[in-house]
Amino acid sequence: MLEAARASGLNLYTYSEIEDVSGFIGNFKVKIRKKARYVNNDCNGCGACFEVCPAYGYDEFNEGLNPRKAIYVAFTQAVPSIAQIDMTKCIKCGLCQGVCELNAIDFDQKDEIVDLEVGSIIVATGWDEYEPETGYLGYNDYPNVITQMKLERILAPNGPTVGHLVRPSDGKKPEKILFIQCVGSRDLSRQTYCSAGVCCMISIKNTKLIKQHYPEIDINVAYMDIRAAGKDYEEYFTASRKEGIKYIRTNVSRIFEDPETHNLKVILQNTLSNTGMKEFEYDMIVLSAAMVPAIGVEKIGRILKLETSQDGFFKEFHSRLNPIDTKIPGIVLAGVAQGPKSIAESIAQGRAAASSLARLLGKDKYRILLIRATVDNDKCAKCGLCELNCPYNAIQMTSESAVVDEILCRGCGSCLANCPSEAITLRYYREPQYEKQIDAILEEI
Amino acid sequence: MAGTIRAQYPATIRPIRINCTGRVTPSLMMRAIGKGADGVIVAG
Repeated sequence: MLEAARASGLNLYTYSEIEDVSGFIGNFKVKIRKKARYVNNDCNGCGACFEVCPAYGYDEFNEGLNPRKAIYVAFTQAVPSIAQIDMTKCIKCGLCQGVCELNAIDFDQKDEIVDLEVGSIIVATGWDEYEPETGYLGYNDYPNVITQMKLERILAPNGPTVGHLVRPSDGKKPEKILFIQCVGSRDLSRQTYCSAGVCCMISIKNTKLIKQHYPEIDINVAYMDIRAAGKDYEEYFTASRKEGIKYIRTNVSRIFEDPETHNLKVILQNTLSNTGMKEFEYDMIVLSAAMVPAIGVEKIGRILKLETSQDGFFKEFHSRLNPIDTKIPGIVLAGVAQGPKSIAESIAQGRAAASSLARLLGKDKYRILLIRATVDNDKCAKCGLCELNCPYNAIQMTSESAVVDEILCRGCGSCLANCPSEAITLRYYREPQYEKQIDAILEEI
Repeated sequence: MAGTIRAQYPATIRPIRINCTGRVTPSLMMRAIGKGADGVIVAG
């Protein structure tokens, strides 16, 4: 990221959202809203303002586990290193203005709209962790039931506890931890898909990490199947078992809390043995939750007119043969925007996305199929039904007739099916051709 | 689709491939019924 920020010829718009996209491959027009940081670009991220700021918010980067000031940098390695003000928490006392040597703080800053012309678009919106509903496996009801991302932050050297493993209820080191796999995934009433083994591998990684630092901690993993498919993954799983982590094949039936100690009692049955239901006690439970599409992808999908698959991820051109491109030429997918996948696969897809676009944009010309709608100006009554029904916004009404944009048109034919005047035809798929097919088939009867 | 999922269907069904279900006009469906088809399934 730092390299990208320094590269010439590369414009980075962070803390921004796309508002509108129009046009077609080679000529997209994009409207970007650069949200106001209330700190201008003179800021060098020195952090003097954080110290004087009296207002607090929750640190989103650390999953809300620790407070941060109302003026803050999103996270330590954020690029660019510019502070921003959380206006929902700021009390406008102006102390930050007093200490800022660069006069970078600007309470009057407004959102800025940037219009860009680009040749192609890569959608790399990533993912969010599925947040279990309150009460499911004790989540939100019991303080010591946390999700995998929270554990990630707790274990991180730059996290809220500077890398010390503690449990939320009393800040003590847990002695017995249970990881629960497939929370919200492979579940017919939640996400039906498997998150591509990512939650399995994160759990294996974190169990190993904890075991390395604290060999005395007892770690169990409650799993359905461990999906350690991929290079070196199975070996990694085996190594974790050799380190003494116990894997229990089970579906957790019940979790309840001891109100005094905040320890968690779990009732489960190991389905690989005949020991029946058993009760175990743990100090902390980590829910390995599913990967779900990032918050806000619906809006981006609407703006770009992208389809989504049943699971909510963006739909690719072909799930096996071309998982990179979308049905819209010039817009491609990278990473989890297309479906759950690991870091290695995301990098591979990101590179594939770049080369897919390089191949298209390297030429000056773009070839289209001629299966396109054409309008008979004499018949067109300018009713506008076609314009309304076109899923690709390829039709525009003029004073003469409806006009089809030959590049945006995908030849679906929704317009001609809706045309009351039969003024639109689809090249190569004309009405008489279908009529002949129907007649020929029914002649046999 | 029916073929790839090995679904069984009567041999009297005759598929016609169309670009998009949106392209199917009422007149095409009525033509098929008028010519003696028992029914028309628009699937996609």
